Amino acid sequence: MKLLKLEFFKCRRRKILLVCAVVLAAELLWIVTTFLRQDAEDLRQGWMLLLYNLAMVDAIIMPISVATLASRNCELEHKGVTLKLLETMAAPGALYAAKLAWGALVLAALLLARGALFMGVGILWRFPGEVPLGQFALFTLISWTVSMMAYALQQGLSLRFANQAVALVCGIAGSFLGILSLLFPPALTRCVPWGYYGILSLVGMNWDPDTRFTWFYWEWPEPMDVVLLFLWAVVFLVVGRALFVRKEV
Amino acid sequence: MNIIETNDLCKQYGNALRVAHLNLDVPEGSVYGFLGPNGAGKSTTLKMILGLVHPTAGDIRVLGKKMDGGNRLAVLRQVGSLIESPSYYGHLTGEENLRIVQTLRGVPEKNIREVLQIVRLDGQRGKKVAHYSLGMKQRLGLAVALLGYPKLLILDEPTNGLDPAGIQEMRELICSLPERFGMTVVVSSHLLSEIDQTADHVAIIREGELVFQDTLEALHGRSRHHLALRTTNNTVAQAILQEKSVPCQEEEGYLILPILSDELAAQLTRLLGARNLGVIRLEERQKSLEDIFLELTGKAASL
Repeated sequence: MKLLKLEFFKCRRRKILLVCAVVLAAELLWIVTTFLRQDAEDLRQGWMLLLYNLAMVDAIIMPISVATLASRNCELEHKGVTLKLLETMAAPGALYAAKLAWGALVLAALLLARGALFMGVGILWRFPGEVPLGQFALFTLISWTVSMMAYALQQGLSLRFANQAVALVCGIAGSFLGILSLLFPPALTRCVPWGYYGILSLVGMNWDPDTRFTWFYWEWPEPMDVVLLFLWAVVFLVVGRALFVRKEV
Repeated sequence: MNIIETNDLCKQYGNALRVAHLNLDVPEGSVYGFLGPNGAGKSTTLKMILGLVHPTAGDIRVLGKKMDGGNRLAVLRQVGSLIESPSYYGHLTGEENLRIVQTLRGVPEKNIREVLQIVRLDGQRGKKVAHYSLGMKQRLGLAVALLGYPKLLILDEPTNGLDPAGIQEMRELICSLPERFGMTVVVSSHLLSEIDQTADHVAIIREGELVFQDTLEALHGRSRHHLALRTTNNTVAQAILQEKSVPCQEEEGYLILPILSDELAAQLTRLLGARNLGVIRLEERQKSLEDIFLELTGKAASL
């Protein structure tokens, strides 16, 4: 707990709030632009359309956002060559865990704020029907879990390489592959970690080529996809932690 | 009692043995100078003592306890360190940097003010460390090391980046620590003069091997007095000296002789004069600490 508090203390003046605000603004801009092009018929399924689009936007925006947050938190240790001091006072494994917990809390706050923001958008847009609170909560949880899997990868890279370009390039590649992978065959999509934002979407879409009519429906994530997501997370976590702990400073 | 003991300590990188069978004994309450040319293995050794680098072989005892994964952090609670360059968060102030260490060490908050005063940074505590000069960062590094008033302080090249006044100040501070706070200080340097002015015990390392370890006094004791003679014809003078059974050898235009009694020296100069040889110089010389260092390390005294 002491180490976790210190992570927040260390991130003073690191403009973490600004990064989160930019992420929310980018998602808001994207969604609002999308909705402005929809007609009244499309908006009859407004809540589903919103969560469907949010999953797609997440696949593009979250990988680079997660990479940026991890980099902001880890870069300061390289810049000030602080690990050789910290590791005389705390175990490397504990330092790694504290950084991961910091990322978990920041992402949780970001995604909760994102959930509240878009519920507000839906209400203001007067989407028909009740606010699907359960789906919003589950969607936030899924986004957070996928983001944490990506965060484990990004933290491993950001701590391993002093040059943060390596981690950020990985994040940019993730943003590109995240959305592109949804066009891959299903087996291949599951091989792309950032693709799980779309794979685990709570909303499915059908399109009838005859009527050219699109409709949405609620769906549950496949249990196997959830298992695969956790496998990816475990791999990134174990490898990243092992590399950090074994590294001599 | 020795506060640090290493036994047959080795560190291998690839095929190169960077630290070879090192047996260090650091007496408690001493200022222990760890001297060696750049790349001799000083920092690697100090990092192994702190558990930041894993030894390939050998063992380390600090404060009487064997350093291993289990008790490393417990032992290091009584150890302060400044390794290679100061560690700091540039976007935080000096005081905020110290607060991080104070929290991790669990020491009283008042220590922050005290150590800032000791290193004379109290006027700069609210300034971001990124805006500090190199010397100020070095002093902050020392403040961080001193924060818990540890029993053992390990300082790796602490005068790096300091101006002459700062170097003098740092030396005085290091020398005062055993008496003021009962600390043992291990200070590494590649500068012989640095160690000569601060340490009372010395270890000299060359290419990872310990080539000397004793008191500074014992190191000084190695310096030998001799006479250096220069004449108008050293070859003839050498033959005359050998006639008189005075051992000598020629070095850089001088004949090097052992210390002679006043009577014998006078007799020899008279004899050289009688054989029409002019005595240009007759000097008493002492082997300097630099010469000893050079002999021991095979490198120049300051590299």
